[in-house]
Amino acid sequence: MEFLGDYTAIAPILIMLIAALVIPAVQLFGRRRTVTWAVAFVMVAISLLVNLYMLTDGYTGTTLDVYEYDAYTGLMILLFQIVLFLVLLVSNSSTETTRLYIGAYYALIIGATTGMMFVAGSSDLLTIFVGVELTSISSYALVTMKRGDSRAAEAGVKYVIVGGTSTALTVYGISMLYGLTGTTNIAEIAAADVGGMTWVLAVGLVCMIAGYGFKIAAVPFHMWAPDVYEGASTPVSAFLATGSKKMGLSVFFQIFVVIFVSGTVMSSICGEQVQYLFAIIAAFTMTVGNVVAIAQTNIKRMLAYSSIAQAGYILIVMAVMSEYAVSAGMFHMFTHVFMKGGAFLIVGALICVGVGEKLSDYKGLAKRSPFLAFAMLLFLFSLAGIPPLAGFTSKFFLFNSALEGGSQWAWLAFIAILNSAISLYYYARVVKAMYIEKGKSKEKIAIPKAFLVAIVICVIFVIVLGLYPQLIFDYCEAAASALLG
Amino acid sequence: MSILPILIILPLIGAIATLFMSGDRAKYAKYVALAFSGVTLVITLYLMYAGLSDGWEQFGVSYEWIQTESITISFSLAVDGLSILMIFLSALLTPLVIVFSSDESDRPNYFHTLLLAMEVGLMGVFMASDYFLFYVMWEVTLIPMYFLISWYGGPRRHYAAIKFFIYTHVASLVMLIGIFAMGWECASVLGYTDFSFDTMATVMPATSQAFQAAVFALLFFGFMVKMPSVPFHTWLPDAHVEAPTAGSVILAGVMLKMGSYGIIRICLQCFPLGAEYWQWLIIAIGLISMVYGAYACIAQTDLKKMVAFSSISHMGMVMLGIGCLSDIGITFAVFQMFAHGLISAMLFMVCGFTGHALGTREIPLLGGLAGKMPIFATFMMISFMASLGLPGLVGFWGEFPLVYGFYEFIKDDWLWLILFCLLTLMLTAGYYIWSMQRTLFGPETTKIDLSHVHDISKPEFVALAVLAILVAAFGVWPDAALTFIDPYVDNLVSVLGVI
Repeated sequence: MEFLGDYTAIAPILIMLIAALVIPAVQLFGRRRTVTWAVAFVMVAISLLVNLYMLTDGYTGTTLDVYEYDAYTGLMILLFQIVLFLVLLVSNSSTETTRLYIGAYYALIIGATTGMMFVAGSSDLLTIFVGVELTSISSYALVTMKRGDSRAAEAGVKYVIVGGTSTALTVYGISMLYGLTGTTNIAEIAAADVGGMTWVLAVGLVCMIAGYGFKIAAVPFHMWAPDVYEGASTPVSAFLATGSKKMGLSVFFQIFVVIFVSGTVMSSICGEQVQYLFAIIAAFTMTVGNVVAIAQTNIKRMLAYSSIAQAGYILIVMAVMSEYAVSAGMFHMFTHVFMKGGAFLIVGALICVGVGEKLSDYKGLAKRSPFLAFAMLLFLFSLAGIPPLAGFTSKFFLFNSALEGGSQWAWLAFIAILNSAISLYYYARVVKAMYIEKGKSKEKIAIPKAFLVAIVICVIFVIVLGLYPQLIFDYCEAAASALLG
Repeated sequence: MSILPILIILPLIGAIATLFMSGDRAKYAKYVALAFSGVTLVITLYLMYAGLSDGWEQFGVSYEWIQTESITISFSLAVDGLSILMIFLSALLTPLVIVFSSDESDRPNYFHTLLLAMEVGLMGVFMASDYFLFYVMWEVTLIPMYFLISWYGGPRRHYAAIKFFIYTHVASLVMLIGIFAMGWECASVLGYTDFSFDTMATVMPATSQAFQAAVFALLFFGFMVKMPSVPFHTWLPDAHVEAPTAGSVILAGVMLKMGSYGIIRICLQCFPLGAEYWQWLIIAIGLISMVYGAYACIAQTDLKKMVAFSSISHMGMVMLGIGCLSDIGITFAVFQMFAHGLISAMLFMVCGFTGHALGTREIPLLGGLAGKMPIFATFMMISFMASLGLPGLVGFWGEFPLVYGFYEFIKDDWLWLILFCLLTLMLTAGYYIWSMQRTLFGPETTKIDLSHVHDISKPEFVALAVLAILVAAFGVWPDAALTFIDPYVDNLVSVLGVI
């Protein structure tokens, strides 16, 4: 299936790029926001289908020597596209996004996703860097788009400053690696001989870990995340929490796991120490995320901290550094998209109908909208890892992978499980507010249809992936072996 | 199709059906629930009959569920002499509590959904033959119970429900670590992880004692919180006091047995060396739970709280029987599980009725009820007598041979430990008879208004009568239950390598 010759590998990206470029023009001439939305939605759907076809067909190919499409790329792209699809689905109905500059909004969000998709297929530090920046710069604009909203402005400024710092750190790290090895190709770096300059390698790697650590909001680089997620309009928060964070994690997999597993360069600086560094970051990220989440009264902030914790769980992969762990981590990313995305969508839907984002606003929700309350219950219980929901199954694989490497990481699995217990506390508090406490208003809630569809999709996947994980896990295994094999 | 999945699917369909019976149809939910759970009971009875005559292996089913490069997880169900009694208890108590609580008028559709969902989880736990499935089902039982308590419970229900949930969920997570450890060890022996009970039961007993002791401890902790044993028992009195009667009956009648079931099925079967290592700890926990539970009973003024503590005491006895690691000890520990399932169901129905009819369960406020409510008083006496181990009722067979088994085990060096058992039996007789004396007999109480009090209603009578008949029947003919237990325990004891 070489329908575009050498360019087949970037076909999904090309469609998205065209969409991002065409949409401002459509907005300019069409003027109707539904038309703009429909064009964006249809093009993203086409791109998603093309990618789905390529992925299930097992296509592999390279475009211009820099972009490589394989099982890993395809799966990550699928993940980003699903996120975008869900967010776009509700964007025309959410009162938060329809007030924005529509043309710019759609162009930016599609542009950000294109950046992520570009990262997923890169095997060179520079192309990864370019992709990450495309996403980051689009995201800064997305967050600040809510004009006249001081929270959004504050979040935007914070995001830009922190993002800029992390970019600087990353570039500094890359330049060190380049100076040392004379290449930016990851595979070549992995096989390089650095002689006696091991400390330069170490400093370079640490700079990059810190730089990309900002992107995934790993502790201690997490401060910006809650403010940004709270300040941004909810669909954008959902996009950032589920999409852009996954890009950061994908970068970690593509750079560090690959260098570590398939290369020899790590042995010069005692690779085990790098593993321990990641293990400690993972342990702190999940613990800080969960513990601070307990104190939150704003649901969006609580979900933001819970996202930090979830990234901490996935960072277990970076400590274990095995193929099985990578596939388990990828699977957890997928389930996280549906459960966290679903939770954010519910928050967004409720904001549209005038329900606030405070925990106290959720009191008595079960009476006002039994479906939304039940869906929220499923998402939160899934995040807490209660079977038979998707979050449990993916955590099962993830924590199991930590133990399969031997007893070395048993303590990390133990901390992760302990964290699951802590997290149940604040998730259960929302459930308690919805189902048990009495709210002020008894008025029934009718949310926009588009939100309903998106939430139903999330509910279906949270249940199906819990009971039948192989729907995606088979692809995760293939992806992991494509990445490391 | 095998018969076992039907036992899970039937209540599940019932749960979904009642969930959607909102509005005017809600009042018919109980009939739907009764029908589904009734059919489940009939199938269970057939299963018991067929298994006893032709063996249990024929029922085992296994469907491929999750198959990755390194993990095999299957949807496997199986029954044997141990699980069938627990399945029977679940299948029996669910329709009985539906009958007993037939006047539930607050959102009856959800009430029955929760009860049937509970049955799904319980059936799943007792039939599961794969650790993943077992854990899933184990957790599935939590959620309906949480909502049963927090929606239909007493004044402090929210606190009790959350405490119940967090306590048992944390314990399950520790258990999950144990399961991971088993998976890891299995992978290092076989090269892949197969989570099925059969594979684990062949791989695990051959591992080193240090590993067995460690994993035994993790799993044991998860199970003992569920049982519950001192010092992790504090969730139980709260949960029971606040739970609605139906919730209490299922909680005490079946859910607590999940803990001891897990210890026997998983801890003993897979880790005989671990069991040997921790034997004295198990015995100590058993003894302390027995004595402490019984001792705490005396101090209780709430009838239901007293019965809750008596459950701790009786489950401590189960723990003691398991700790003997002998044929007689384990056999009667299982029998005690079964007996306590029947008796505690009766006890909680009686206590529930007291609170319902009189508006209070405080013993000092009651008195002379026998004259006003003779039928109720009869059932209360039967259940109390059964629980204190009166010969001729089922409780006797759970206690006397068990204490004898313990005596056999300690008679050479530690004979004085038997005093704890005797003390427990004395205390048990004491608090039951004393509380009966204060509530049923003596002058009629003037502290509460008894003028409008009525005796038990027809549905309540039916539920209590069925249990009373079973309590008496198994009391005079304990062999009916022992025929199920014996072959299983013989097999288990051969794994343990002790007599």
